[in-house]
Amino acid sequence: MTDGEILVEGAQETVDEMVETDVPVMNPHAQVCLQHLLRVWLGFERDLSTVPLLRRLDLGTYTVEDHLCLLRNLRQQVIEGSRWITRTASSFDRNYAEIRSTVIAHAVDEHRDYELLEKDYVASGGQLEDILGMERNVGSEALHGFLMYRASRNNPVDLLGAMWIIEGLGEKMARSWAERIHELTGLGEDSTRFMTYHGHNDGDHMQRFYRTLDDVCVDETTTSSIVKTAQVVARLYRLQLEELNHDVE
Amino acid sequence: MSVYITSTGAFLPGPPISTGEVEGILGMVNGQPSSLRVQIQQANKIQTRHYAIDAQQQTTHSNTEMASEAAEQCLDRAFLDRQSVGMLAVASTQGDLPAPGMASMVQANLGLPAIEILTTHGICSSSMMALKAAYNSLLVGDHDAAVVVSSELSSRLLKKQRYEAATESTFAAKRIDFNTEFLRWMLSDGAGALLLQSTPAPKGYSLRIDWVRGFSHAHALPTCMSVGSAGHPGDERTWQDYDSYADAERAGALLLRQEVRLLDNIIRMGVDGYLRLVQEGVSEPAKIDHFLCHYSSHHFRSKILEMLDAAGVGIPEDRWWTNLYTRGNTGAASLFIMLDEFLRTDEVTIKEGDCILCFVPESGRFNTTYMQLTVVKQ
Repeated sequence: MTDGEILVEGAQETVDEMVETDVPVMNPHAQVCLQHLLRVWLGFERDLSTVPLLRRLDLGTYTVEDHLCLLRNLRQQVIEGSRWITRTASSFDRNYAEIRSTVIAHAVDEHRDYELLEKDYVASGGQLEDILGMERNVGSEALHGFLMYRASRNNPVDLLGAMWIIEGLGEKMARSWAERIHELTGLGEDSTRFMTYHGHNDGDHMQRFYRTLDDVCVDETTTSSIVKTAQVVARLYRLQLEELNHDVE
Repeated sequence: MSVYITSTGAFLPGPPISTGEVEGILGMVNGQPSSLRVQIQQANKIQTRHYAIDAQQQTTHSNTEMASEAAEQCLDRAFLDRQSVGMLAVASTQGDLPAPGMASMVQANLGLPAIEILTTHGICSSSMMALKAAYNSLLVGDHDAAVVVSSELSSRLLKKQRYEAATESTFAAKRIDFNTEFLRWMLSDGAGALLLQSTPAPKGYSLRIDWVRGFSHAHALPTCMSVGSAGHPGDERTWQDYDSYADAERAGALLLRQEVRLLDNIIRMGVDGYLRLVQEGVSEPAKIDHFLCHYSSHHFRSKILEMLDAAGVGIPEDRWWTNLYTRGNTGAASLFIMLDEFLRTDEVTIKEGDCILCFVPESGRFNTTYMQLTVVKQ
């Protein structure tokens, strides 16, 4: 999402990366909303560095045990994720048919992602029953509760803010976590298929996101509700990663 | 009450050094050419830079001398009796002496009597810290004129002898140690100076300082650019914790390091600070005529610039200006060297009322600093 890496790989890539693309012209409310969403994202991404398990990725002390713990805790969120997305789709009336189509497509893309996580867990040396037996951690409870509540309201356009954060994280996992995990743990690519698949998938969503934002974000009230939901989801997602349950029953 | 930059000066030691000549100056470590040099140089696109060491790695100018040369040039160009200078603020990553502060040494060289001094310690953003303190001193009326100097002599950290002595370091252990070599092919030497006054210069353009702001993210993010640790995960020791300085050097604790993997945080936090200033109404993107950035646009992946465009706050590429490619990346000194040339170059037309946004990010532990200037004429 916010791929601001410094280029160190060489000049050729610079040329490839700087290919001109069409920048959409959005309405002024959508533009302001995107400015706020960018800041919510950048703050979220920065604060993820304070989460102990993720800090170990930065400091180079992340272990296979850390990886198994992360996967166990992500699974519940991913399972619940497909539920709030489908609930969201059903909460839009016919005046929001376009966004409903987008949300349905999204749900189809991702509603069985948790199966990838289970395979990754086993490939990383974990026991299948351990990941299947995990409960939602404290943060997952809060995040799931909030998302289902918002998704149950009529025409919940504010959930664009939730999609912004969760899709952004998907891309971040692919871009900056997966390779680092291989480097630090010696695990193979089959330990991070969920992360990399998710990232490639999410990369295509940006233009669609701009169009949707331009369609639905046409006043200040909508802007603040989208930004607020992004803020809550960012905080609760971080809580989920802070509240990792380490015990295997 | 306003504060103006009324004169500038710069000093770049020795001749411009081309990309192919760099290793001849810094030296081949253990007689072997670097396998990373070309790759890193191609990525940063710097064509020429200057060094205050010669091809035998002997220092040709001290850091104090370079700072003084830049300040002398700045004062020589000013419409001001140098006795009226009330304050000298000096910024550098590492002065010639660890103590006392570098401002004492520069003051002695300049012969400025009984002035207030300030030395700021940091990396790239230390120049903005010094500038802001001097700006505030003038704003509160303590002084009518202050000189702010920033000087960097990083080649002394980058010469081959440093790496050859680090026999028990990550650099010696690995075939390729990107983090330790990265800055070797990035940084070079130079100094810049600004004169701040409470009135604009009687002739020519002055730059009114509209505001200076900074946001540091060290509370959340790990250290990214540093000297003083050996770079082993979990090893908390810093250079003075070793029994001898020789032990520290052998362990590689005196090498300059960049955690390249963390570097993209500086772009992200740079964009965040910019958006914050826009949201606070401090900065208005549409009014920015010139954007002077310590990084060039090619360092930003197109995606984040594209998002800023989509959000209606992008700065068109034709408003970016830098001399990084010809003067090198001189760390803290870069912005002052850039401002000095910007006011003189034929590449840009400057007119009264032009708004200049300056951005100096520091990757040390992620401090991002911003300044807005307006071109005025007496």
